[in-house]
Amino acid sequence: MPTDTISAPFDIYRYRPGKDAAPRYQRFTLELTPHTPVLTALLKIRAEIDPSLGLRYSCRSAICGSCAMQINSKSRLACETHIGPEVERHGRIVVEPMRNQPVLRDLVVDQSPFWREYDKIEPHLKLDPRHPMPEGKATSMSPAQVDRFKETPRCIACAACYSACPAVEADPAFPGPMALAKLYRFVVDPRDTATQDRLVRIQPNGLWLCLRCHLCTEACPKDVRPSERIRDLKEMAIAAQGGTELGSRHAIGFKENLKGGGLLNEMKLVRATSGLAGMAGQVGQGIRVWRKKPEIMKRPRTIEGMDEVEKIYAALDPPPKEEP
Amino acid sequence: MLRHEVVVVGAGLAGQRAALAAVEAGRDVAIVTKLHPLRSHSGAAQGGINAAVGAEDSVDTHIYDTVKGSDYLGDQDAIEFFCREAGPTVVEMEHFGTIFSRSEDGSLARRAFGGAGFPRTIYAADRTGLALLQGLWERLGTERFTVYEEWDLTRVVVRDGRVQGIVALDRKRGDFQEVAAKSVIIATGPAGRIYGRTTNAHSCTGDGVAVAYHAGAFLKDMEFVQFHPTALLESGILITEGARGEGGILKNATGERFMARYAPHVLDLASRDVVSRAIVTEVLEGRGFTGPYGGYVHLELMHLGKEKVESRLQEICDYCRLFAGIDPVTDPIPVYPAQHYMMGGVGTNIRGETNVPGLYSAGEAACVSIHGANRLGGNSLLETLVFGKEAGKAAAAYSERAPATVLHETDLDSATASFRSWLSRSDGEDPSALRTELQQTMDRYVGIYRTEADLMEGLRRVRAVKERFSRVRVVDQSKVFNLNLTDAIETEHLIDLAEVIVVGAYARTESRGAHSRSDYPKRDDAHWMKHTLAQRTPTGPNLSYSPVGFTRWEPKERVY
Repeated sequence: MPTDTISAPFDIYRYRPGKDAAPRYQRFTLELTPHTPVLTALLKIRAEIDPSLGLRYSCRSAICGSCAMQINSKSRLACETHIGPEVERHGRIVVEPMRNQPVLRDLVVDQSPFWREYDKIEPHLKLDPRHPMPEGKATSMSPAQVDRFKETPRCIACAACYSACPAVEADPAFPGPMALAKLYRFVVDPRDTATQDRLVRIQPNGLWLCLRCHLCTEACPKDVRPSERIRDLKEMAIAAQGGTELGSRHAIGFKENLKGGGLLNEMKLVRATSGLAGMAGQVGQGIRVWRKKPEIMKRPRTIEGMDEVEKIYAALDPPPKEEP
Repeated sequence: MLRHEVVVVGAGLAGQRAALAAVEAGRDVAIVTKLHPLRSHSGAAQGGINAAVGAEDSVDTHIYDTVKGSDYLGDQDAIEFFCREAGPTVVEMEHFGTIFSRSEDGSLARRAFGGAGFPRTIYAADRTGLALLQGLWERLGTERFTVYEEWDLTRVVVRDGRVQGIVALDRKRGDFQEVAAKSVIIATGPAGRIYGRTTNAHSCTGDGVAVAYHAGAFLKDMEFVQFHPTALLESGILITEGARGEGGILKNATGERFMARYAPHVLDLASRDVVSRAIVTEVLEGRGFTGPYGGYVHLELMHLGKEKVESRLQEICDYCRLFAGIDPVTDPIPVYPAQHYMMGGVGTNIRGETNVPGLYSAGEAACVSIHGANRLGGNSLLETLVFGKEAGKAAAAYSERAPATVLHETDLDSATASFRSWLSRSDGEDPSALRTELQQTMDRYVGIYRTEADLMEGLRRVRAVKERFSRVRVVDQSKVFNLNLTDAIETEHLIDLAEVIVVGAYARTESRGAHSRSDYPKRDDAHWMKHTLAQRTPTGPNLSYSPVGFTRWEPKERVY
């Protein structure tokens, strides 16, 4: 590894709620090797320059989940973000507390909203007393069954996904990516006996509020891919119960809608999502659309290459196969 | 004043398992932790948990391997109990929800580990600690108990010869809290940050062990410090023994598989003390690689193939890529030993009881002793669960019959007077600088190979740091998340424990397990087949000794 140092300017968010009038950014410039983790730099600042800098940290090896923060506007673990590429790309390293959680001091946030959502999905095995665990021995589980958990067991609850999520910011009813990835972990667990109940209960409780922006998957340091697991949950919820929410009816309607001719029939989609009564409530909106873009309200023609679209549908709905 | 029947300090596997046992016994339980429970250092354990469940394996072989691995300092009665509990403990954790790796037939997958006669290490990829921690926390979450999160333990209050409660710093509010408790279970894990080069998390500062020592508990066998053979060169980040269990091999700079000279029968899977000494010897004798971060050897996984390395050692791949800038699928991993584990700790029996009524301990903070002079890989996760449960049960039973606690309003004042003086000084010593000096001293003078001269110099330096600490100053005057104050509290704990380690190491004039005296290279059963006990006095630790428990295994020379 290179041992030549570079000059790394840090702009660090400093704020003590109740004591400071407003947050400020403090500049520290350190001479460090490019592969130095941001956490190492912050601890150097604490040890050698300013011991009052507040932050959370523990393992320094990306397994305890303590040191998630905003580094150049991205939710990252400070222990595994190297300063070299940051300085190269941005010229400096702006370090701020995670988003979507109130600041306690400097880079330390109050994580109780995050943990509350985790608790709400009932993160524990639910067992049916009529089907007890095998007496005195481990449950039999094939490697294929273990694979169904995908990467969710790697989650370290760092909350980087929660910090990066615009749906969390917009709607307090959204449980957040981590809680939903954790829910997925229990839904696919062959030992859990509440799969159906979990899916039915999450449909009206935030599952469909995900914006599908995939920022959680981009932020996750452990490749848990929460947005993909949320997509899986949506599919499983529809399979379990059909469309009970605006979101699921919209998804089903969208899929059925395109089947006809490959273009969206807006009128049909509104009806599939909101029902006739719901359509009535959107008459005003419909008139506005009709004035601006009347072609949207017409029955769409069948597109060329519809056979390709049909192939896509065939691939999306493969014949049912045996679950492992 | 807050009041509970059982207070568990530390929320890793041992603390959580103790809390579960005490809750199940019907007691009012609180957990005090300096982190969130899911951020505890148990989660960093990689390789696995031992249980002799394979058809070809036996509990007796597990017992024998552990006794031999301990270099005959482990108490054999405790080891027998421990190994018998292994199978049921792993099954219980599986039923709690832990997701283990599986074999094709659906049973728990097992891998080979150092010093073990058979592949008996059950695992969850290379994040077994995280898997267990999640499973246990999820199970515990279905019970009623209290958690005091991000609190730093500073005192166990003892009056009338028994425990009355604790005092701790609530980081979020920034004030000291007193909690009345009939029993206190110390499960605060390791003190690896006594050393600079360690695999341990920054939070591993031995708080509970130091506070128990202050409260009058005996610390046992503290001179036995395990150095893990394979830590990443610059950062000291752990590369699991499972990497060698899966077939990884160590090579020196001449390309030689040098373990053949040190452990001709089991090669790279010898016990950790043996492999660590071999690596240090290779480097000292000029057969290691050299670079800006010192001498090292190579751990090679390349021959195992991309598929195996990336599936069985997924986290290791990330660590190597992120923290060493190399890919273990195509490159050798540069490794050198680092402090990893404390065999010693708060002295207990198999029920977790200490010499102080009402005070219990379990996990790495405790010393039962099952690891003796050297712990086998895969036995520490098992220890946290087996003895966490025992300590929880015993503390619950004690609390049920113990008289009401007696805490005075003035207790909080007297327990926190020194912290107020640290905060009020206008000039004084910086706790971070003192910690760094302590770590450099321990790395240099109290490492893998020890001599009388080095230990004497080490003790002189540790005591100099201790003397300077009496003038420590906390600069930060804010209440909320005053980590400068936490630094000072932790540093005092580290200094106290370092002194016990050096004094014990200086006195023990033999080589046994992880304690290698270059000036006394042989094990000396006639004089030293005994546990070291350290008790705190105003002038430093006072040493005494206690016998080792024997059942069936006669001491033999250890050959791997």
